[in-house]
Amino acid sequence: MHRKNAFGYFSLLLGLTMLLASCVESTDKKTTQPPVQAQLDSTEVARMKELEKIFFSIPSPVEMSSLIKQNGYQFDQGKLVATANVDKYTGESRQAVMLGIYGADLSYTAIFDQKQLTTEYFAAAQKLARQMDADGTITPELLERLEKNQANRDSMLHIISEAYSDLNGYLKEKDRVEVSAMVVAGGWLEALYLSTQYSGDGNSAMRQRIAEQKYSLNNLMSYLEKFGDSPSLQELKTDLGRLQEAYAAVAESKGKTSTSKDESGKMVIGTTSTITIDDAALSKIATLAGEIRTKYSAL
Amino acid sequence: MKLIKILLPLLLLMPLLSDAQCRAFTKNQCLPQLDGYVQNDNYNSAMLIPGDDAELLLTFYGGKEYRLVVCAHPILGSVDYEITDTNGDSIYRGNTAVGNSFDFKMVNTQQLIVKLHVPEQKSSVSVHEGCVSVLVGSKEAN
Repeated sequence: MHRKNAFGYFSLLLGLTMLLASCVESTDKKTTQPPVQAQLDSTEVARMKELEKIFFSIPSPVEMSSLIKQNGYQFDQGKLVATANVDKYTGESRQAVMLGIYGADLSYTAIFDQKQLTTEYFAAAQKLARQMDADGTITPELLERLEKNQANRDSMLHIISEAYSDLNGYLKEKDRVEVSAMVVAGGWLEALYLSTQYSGDGNSAMRQRIAEQKYSLNNLMSYLEKFGDSPSLQELKTDLGRLQEAYAAVAESKGKTSTSKDESGKMVIGTTSTITIDDAALSKIATLAGEIRTKYSAL
Repeated sequence: MKLIKILLPLLLLMPLLSDAQCRAFTKNQCLPQLDGYVQNDNYNSAMLIPGDDAELLLTFYGGKEYRLVVCAHPILGSVDYEITDTNGDSIYRGNTAVGNSFDFKMVNTQQLIVKLHVPEQKSSVSVHEGCVSVLVGSKEAN
């Protein structure tokens, strides 16, 4: 049964129960009722828990890919998951993770101005979304818009982000929040994998960004904990849990936040907090990211 | 009074994403406010009612400029929002009646919390629900 339906039935049942309780009260004033405040408190808690499943965010793969480009690295198609096998991924959870992985690859191709490949990856994402009955968002019209805007990288990035955000919203709206979380997890995993592929030369910016993924991973794991324990979700949590263990070696120190204004009056936010990664942790994270990503993408 | 006691829990338990209107509202009314920024892939919109509180933990990367938009359907009136660090220290406070976006630059990477509060509507007899969206867009800092 869908959670939304269950919720609706539960509301109806609760309403009827309370109606009956109120009738009983009118005939027998001595009947004990749970305090109304307690009933309200429990429904508010239930509502807050539902809200916690909706309000969740980690940085998008675009932000990781743009750092790769900024640091002067070259595009490498060999680092991506091929689109040729898109039809062969079965099962909703695996398709969801793969949809996220293709999304990160799509961001990477777009950042590097790989117009044809961007269209190919977008089409692959569209196919997977259709297989998952979530094709109301990554539409043929959007693909057409992407093709028309091939000359403008920013427009392409906007279209990709809009498509994935809309997909995320569509899944949440259809009460498939868990599936949307798996898509986000897949995108995060692939973005991490791609970053680790460019971290071998000691580039400090790449190392730092990989270290900072500890925040996103912790946030993602806490989010996944809010859902049930379906075997596929449990498997994903176990896989990401291995990464989280590796991230335990990434050192954090908590500092103070400072704010100032730049010349245009815009707020500038800084912190004395630090996060650092050593070679051993970096190497372990890179290996694990590759292993886990291969597990989901291999046929 | 008894009717309120019966109906209020039902209203509170109404499915948070009861229709596609919130997504359409976000797309049409909120998303254009991120003009010039690349939107984050995550969708953070829900139907809220007066008295609701929500929180969102976000990671912002150093060297980037961000625009945070808190977009609320007018039926809810003014929605309060606050940005704090993870120690709970306030960085920015706003409400949607005065301004629903906040532009800032990050020196280094940090997690911040966006807190939302939909004030109670004391004068209103019925409980209205309305869409509230939190959007984040980024671009390279100048």
